[in-house]
Amino acid sequence: MGKANIVVGLEIGTSKVCVVVGELKRDGSVQILGVGEAPSVGVRKGEIVDIDNCGKCVREAIADAEDKSDVMIKNVYLGITGAHIQSFNNRGSFVLPDEREKIESADVGRVQEEARTAPIPAHNMFVHTVLQHFYVDGQDGVLNPVGMFGRKLEADFHIVHGVANRIKNSIQCLCDLDIEIEDIVFTPYAAAQAVLDQGQKNIGALMLDIGGGTMGYAVYVKGAIVQSGCVGIGGDHLTNDLSLGLRIPMGKAEMLKIKEGSCVIGNSLPGETVSLRDEHGFAGKEIEREMLNTIIHMRIRETFEFLLRELSKGPYLDYLGAGVVLTGGTSALRGIKHLAEDVFQMPVQLCRAQNVSGVASAFENPQYSTAVGLVKYAQATFDDEGGGWLDWFKRWF
Amino acid sequence: MIEYTRSSSHSAPTIKVIGLGGAGGNVLDRLVLDGSDAACVVAMNTDVQKLNGSVVGEKVHLGPKTTRGLGTGGDPEVGYAAAEETTEEIVASLAGTQLVFICAGLGGGTGSGAAPLVAHLARKAGAMVIAFVTLPFSFEGKRRNAQALDALAQIEGQANLVVCFENDRMGEASSPSAGIQQAFVAADSVLSQSIRSIAGLVEQRGWVSVGLDDLAVVLRRQQARALFGYGESDGPNRAHEALERALRCPLMDKGKLLTDAHSVLVHVAGGSELTLNEVSVLMEELNRHISDGTRINFGVSTDARYGRKLCVSILSSTGEAVVSPQAKAVLPKLATAEKKEDLFTKETAPIFEADQEPEPFEELEEPEPVKPPAKAAPKLAPTKEPAPKKEEKAEQMSLEPVNRGRFDKGEPTIVDGEDLDVPTFLRKNLKGK
Repeated sequence: MGKANIVVGLEIGTSKVCVVVGELKRDGSVQILGVGEAPSVGVRKGEIVDIDNCGKCVREAIADAEDKSDVMIKNVYLGITGAHIQSFNNRGSFVLPDEREKIESADVGRVQEEARTAPIPAHNMFVHTVLQHFYVDGQDGVLNPVGMFGRKLEADFHIVHGVANRIKNSIQCLCDLDIEIEDIVFTPYAAAQAVLDQGQKNIGALMLDIGGGTMGYAVYVKGAIVQSGCVGIGGDHLTNDLSLGLRIPMGKAEMLKIKEGSCVIGNSLPGETVSLRDEHGFAGKEIEREMLNTIIHMRIRETFEFLLRELSKGPYLDYLGAGVVLTGGTSALRGIKHLAEDVFQMPVQLCRAQNVSGVASAFENPQYSTAVGLVKYAQATFDDEGGGWLDWFKRWF
Repeated sequence: MIEYTRSSSHSAPTIKVIGLGGAGGNVLDRLVLDGSDAACVVAMNTDVQKLNGSVVGEKVHLGPKTTRGLGTGGDPEVGYAAAEETTEEIVASLAGTQLVFICAGLGGGTGSGAAPLVAHLARKAGAMVIAFVTLPFSFEGKRRNAQALDALAQIEGQANLVVCFENDRMGEASSPSAGIQQAFVAADSVLSQSIRSIAGLVEQRGWVSVGLDDLAVVLRRQQARALFGYGESDGPNRAHEALERALRCPLMDKGKLLTDAHSVLVHVAGGSELTLNEVSVLMEELNRHISDGTRINFGVSTDARYGRKLCVSILSSTGEAVVSPQAKAVLPKLATAEKKEDLFTKETAPIFEADQEPEPFEELEEPEPVKPPAKAAPKLAPTKEPAPKKEEKAEQMSLEPVNRGRFDKGEPTIVDGEDLDVPTFLRKNLKGK
């Protein structure tokens, strides 16, 4: 019976598959029971390129999570990402029939359906249709229109869509393992649930989830998500750049990035070097620190600048009162905060999952933000359904 | 490479597109409806009703006496007789044209019968003739197929180039459940698209231009079947998308057929925003679909009309290599034919003579074909300096091999024309140590 309030978030990331098992508490908080992970194979830029090998990693990660949380995992919330996923905002409207003047809950569904009639490419499918705001007869700021009097109900939606076949690949990967998928969630949207609190969402914030293969972003203004997307650039690109630029193997480049890399340039002593020890199969090498940092700096700066250009096409950049929130594995890079402040010209903070308790490793590491976010997303959907499980839960007491 | 002295009068060839018979007319209608630019279009048909229904401006009614305004009833001889009767009108409409595209659906009466004659008249009038023909669907019956192949052989003897499309393969474009009308429409649109892009790439002066000689290299094979792909995109990742669409064209079979192609003609057109980077990304991706020995004829042109759009046309052909033993056998007979083809033979000498077929019509003193507006003066081509790493590709734009490391095989992340998988410091020209 305890199963109903346990939810599992699963993210197939470019560098790791991560499974978070969480318990939804009655007071709205989340307790993490266990985290399982496995390095992923067959994933590039957030998308599956080798479904068999990827399946093995997922199986491993799930087994790990089952071990640690002592929960048998049957249903998951699946995070999906990839540069093919796009978003836009659309308004749906519904005029009530003449004989009725009170808005019913079914009407909200009709408005949502209407908003979904917006054209998306034929091979794409809807991932999310997130409600932003209601309008009743043009009146702004209605929080819950059900039961109100009105002739015309309108609502703004944030619509996320992506290429259907690529999304199906992720789903297939889990179906092969006999795991049911409760819902698919665009990872930046999930990560935002974990790292942003309601206050930040209300005054406006840009959440950047910089992972291994992708950088997802979500913009919140006035409490609602207004823009989201994903760029196919991540920590892997840094490693690749270092490997090519410094002529060292990938493994060394990855290690160098984590141990020594920084986004700040002009901070090292002239001629200061980092030495890579010689090992079997690798003759040692002295790396100039400035060169190392320059390569990282240029890549990250370029990516931020690109994102800034992308965001300045929309009107939301001026509404970000809470500034930028960085999360994801690559946000652990030294100096990334300063670089982001320099590019975006607004306050930047590094964030991890908020308002969760339990296994500390889950929320202390920004790598797990998305997976924790999936659990928080599940919590939010339960709340939206009028506490469906909660009512059911209460009947037992 | 041969250089042509370009006199001012040769700057743009006058082009006419002639549609013969029902199928040809349909293709022209599509061409006009889709909006073709410079080329004049002329519809010729025996069937007065169809001719009246056409949206084409210039029309020639073939054989008003022979068929009395009705069709040919699928008989090529009637079609030939009708065209013969109307010779004067045909000659009049061809006067002063340098480049004639004939498009016809073979297998019926008008197309199969009249097309060889029209091609012949056009050549006599001093025009270069490129024929676009379709072979009938196999469900149309063996007789029509035989008629079509007959006519094809005749046209090959007349026209400078023949681009042959098999309707059967074009039909794959429409879904199995689609109506027959849709299958025909799909075939028509592939044909009209290819005429449009070939006319476009010959007449547009590009930075690296493509001429009729390049076309000839690509299409001159025995029993050639054209592979044609066209794609356009104005999305953020347009180079990649346009190429993908071009390869998805039904005649391309997802680019699989390109692997055995001997030479491929690629033309990239875009607005003023077209970047060198996009072109190099595109060519690099295309290179994955073709084998190393393939000769690439490459052209780029820019025109403000394209706006954000980037268009890629890929043209190639499958078929026997032309220098087959059988072809060699015919070689001696062709001594005369060879001369008039000097335009082509100069460049790739042994390849072309072989494929000249004996003229089925009485041998007339054929006029020299017009000089095509071939390679633009070399000064127009900024990156034309060949990087002769592989000799076959010497004419290709020199495309620096860019290093993408572990992302080499994957789908590139292209933003604003930049391949973001290439390290930033390389793109920004920071020297590695």
